[in-house]
Amino acid sequence: MSETKTHSIDISAMQRDQQTLRIEDETKCLSVNNLHLYYGEKEALKGIDMIIPEKKVTAFIGPSGCGKSTLLRCFNRMNDLVDSCRITGEVNLNDQNIYAKGTDVAELRRRVGMVFQKPNPFPKSIYENVAYGLRIQGINKKRILDETVEWALRSAALWDEVKDRLHESALGMSGGQQQRLVIARTVAVKPEVLLLDEPASALDPISTLKIEELIHELKADFTIAIVTHNMQQAARVSDYTAFMYMGDLIEFGDTNTLFTNPAKQQTEDYITGRYG
Amino acid sequence: MKKTSVSNWFKSGEPWVWLNAGAVAISVIMVIGLLLLIAVRGLGHFWPADIIEARYELPGQPAYNLVAERVESVDVPTAQLREAGIDIPEGEAFMQRTLVKTGNRDIYGSDFRWVVDAFLSDVRKPEMLIAAERHEWGNLYGYIKEVKEAGVVIAETEDKTPTESALATWQAFEASIERATEIHDDIYQIEKHDIGAINHGLERLRLKQRRYELNNKLTPEALADLDAERAELDIEYKGLQQQLITLYGEINRDTVVFEAMDGTVLELNVAKVVRAYRPNAMNGFGKIGFYGDKLWEFLSAEPREANTEGGVFPAIFGTVMMVLLMTILVTPFGVVAAVYLREYASQGWFTRVIRIAVNNLAGVPSIVYGVFGLGFFIYFMGSSIDQAFFPEALPAPTFGTGGLMWASITLALLTVPVVIVATEEGLSRIPRNVREGSLALGATKAETLWRVVLPMASPAIMTGVILAVARAAGEVAPLMLVGVVKLAPSLPLDGNYPFIHLDQKFMHLGFHIYDVGFQSPNVEAARPLVYATALLLVIVIALLNFAAVTIRNHLREKYKSLEM
Repeated sequence: MSETKTHSIDISAMQRDQQTLRIEDETKCLSVNNLHLYYGEKEALKGIDMIIPEKKVTAFIGPSGCGKSTLLRCFNRMNDLVDSCRITGEVNLNDQNIYAKGTDVAELRRRVGMVFQKPNPFPKSIYENVAYGLRIQGINKKRILDETVEWALRSAALWDEVKDRLHESALGMSGGQQQRLVIARTVAVKPEVLLLDEPASALDPISTLKIEELIHELKADFTIAIVTHNMQQAARVSDYTAFMYMGDLIEFGDTNTLFTNPAKQQTEDYITGRYG
Repeated sequence: MKKTSVSNWFKSGEPWVWLNAGAVAISVIMVIGLLLLIAVRGLGHFWPADIIEARYELPGQPAYNLVAERVESVDVPTAQLREAGIDIPEGEAFMQRTLVKTGNRDIYGSDFRWVVDAFLSDVRKPEMLIAAERHEWGNLYGYIKEVKEAGVVIAETEDKTPTESALATWQAFEASIERATEIHDDIYQIEKHDIGAINHGLERLRLKQRRYELNNKLTPEALADLDAERAELDIEYKGLQQQLITLYGEINRDTVVFEAMDGTVLELNVAKVVRAYRPNAMNGFGKIGFYGDKLWEFLSAEPREANTEGGVFPAIFGTVMMVLLMTILVTPFGVVAAVYLREYASQGWFTRVIRIAVNNLAGVPSIVYGVFGLGFFIYFMGSSIDQAFFPEALPAPTFGTGGLMWASITLALLTVPVVIVATEEGLSRIPRNVREGSLALGATKAETLWRVVLPMASPAIMTGVILAVARAAGEVAPLMLVGVVKLAPSLPLDGNYPFIHLDQKFMHLGFHIYDVGFQSPNVEAARPLVYATALLLVIVIALLNFAAVTIRNHLREKYKSLEM
């Protein structure tokens, strides 16, 4: 749908990264070992093995229904909410299996934040939206809240737009602002990992651009995993890209290589638009 | 050719539009008609009607002088009148018959009588005719003759026209009423509040002593303490009684002498008069002012004379109080049940069965709830509570008899399905992504429910509450079993500890309508009050609903859902 508005793939991606990244050199943040996921009888993820490097942006691309969002939702156990969902295998966050028994899921989700496809601010004020995660943790000191809210809104490049109406409803903001508010809200609890599930798919081109710039800045502090339908976006924002198809991880590598010189025929077919 | 056009007309859907519009129009007309009927019949009652004086002579019977208010007229077949023993000449098929209020129940035995208009002659409206509302025996109509102060005549007149002496007597009477009313208010204050509080205190002391006895703790010291307190209250009581004796002496000072329509002269204690007026001498403004007074009395005063006179304030208070208590009980209960059903229970056949059961509960006739409330709440739970917490009052029941609390709980039970269904509906409409947003920030399910989901569902909860209020406020049948009475001695909320008396019986507008209209000894006098009370009940329910709707709209605005 957005093919027309974006620049060509290679130039923007090339200009940014001069040297080729090597996955072997990275510190691993998340590692996935032989992850299978079933919705009832249907196998949605068919044995995924990969690592998500620390303080880098990893993009997941692939056609609809390939399992990329499902995989992302495995990283903060969002799939637990689906009744018929069953998971085998491991996801390790800093060498701890998050699917081990006795894992505090709420604590995990504090460490692994998630931004969804549609902006989902709470029907509260802008301030209270950002402070929500802190209040959940029992932090109610006004000074700490004020500082964190400002820092988070600045991190999400939203502070200047909303600093005069912090106590107005978040629902009066534009879609793009709402999505950045959601990012600020997620950033406010200082997670280690940010999961972005098609964060710009419901937004207009300018808002999309702002989100992309934001991802660039956030990468300094957070490990980011982003799911996107939009290959140009993946090329622009990510350091590493994973291509998925029908529940399999087909190819995973640094973004430049994957887009300019894919190892697998299926990857090449997809990024050149032959299917998907 | 014609056939096609008719079938085209059907195809165009126009008949449906007409049908639907017609149905809506009929509904609206019926509702407006109903409200108009009760409003006109009810509100007209407070208007000061003119008093007529006339000569009434039925054929073959002695003539007499009639002083009365017209109430209503109907056409009756002359045959019927003839059967009633009235000798009516041939000719007319129908004659107008009028119901008139002659008052003076103490003289004539009843307030009302029917007269045939054709036999009234010499109808006039003398200015000096006086209507006096009394605390008992209903209205008095007649001419004033004398006003006496401590047996001494201070004003008198022989005239039935507004001469100087007649007007002076009238003014003396008015002044005397004003004085008596003030004293009456003082007496009321002392009897109802001060002595009421002392009685309340004495009763508490009695119960305390009984409690000590039951617990074998009635030491001589405790008894001495109790006696000392009692003595204190007794002294206070004696003082008040002395005051009362003085006041009663004062209030009974004045008397007034009237001449009724048949020439009977009666002397009346001014203390017995609530108000007196001369409707025939009133102008438009005077009548409007009088009307306002009467309407205010209806809303703010306590009932008199077996509920056929005075106001309905205790009934308004009881109704509102019961509905509020019911709301306070039903809302948390219904919301908690709905949250469990929708959010926590696994959605299997068992949940479905429960849901069907809840929905069916809403269809159970209300009297069944009344029976349940009486059998379970009052007889079982209430008497258990009495055994456990109020043994000192036994054998007199405290909670083991109908009361405000049991009525509220019974109605809460009656309306809880509505709240559950509405809340569940609201919960199911909260977008999934908002819940996920909260969970993704590290909130647990309970925190998400409490901080995000329930606030967003609050307009739906309020819708449930509105429906519950609408149903509960109009319910009468179950209340008759669980705590409503025709006349409650005191309000369930007063200045005596513990201030809210949940165990007390209370009055209710719905039951008041039934009682006044159908259990009253004075049907004619009560009928307009039935309409007025019905109108009031409708207004009270509308106001309660309006309040709830306002709250809901406010919440809706606040939690305007993300319709994206």
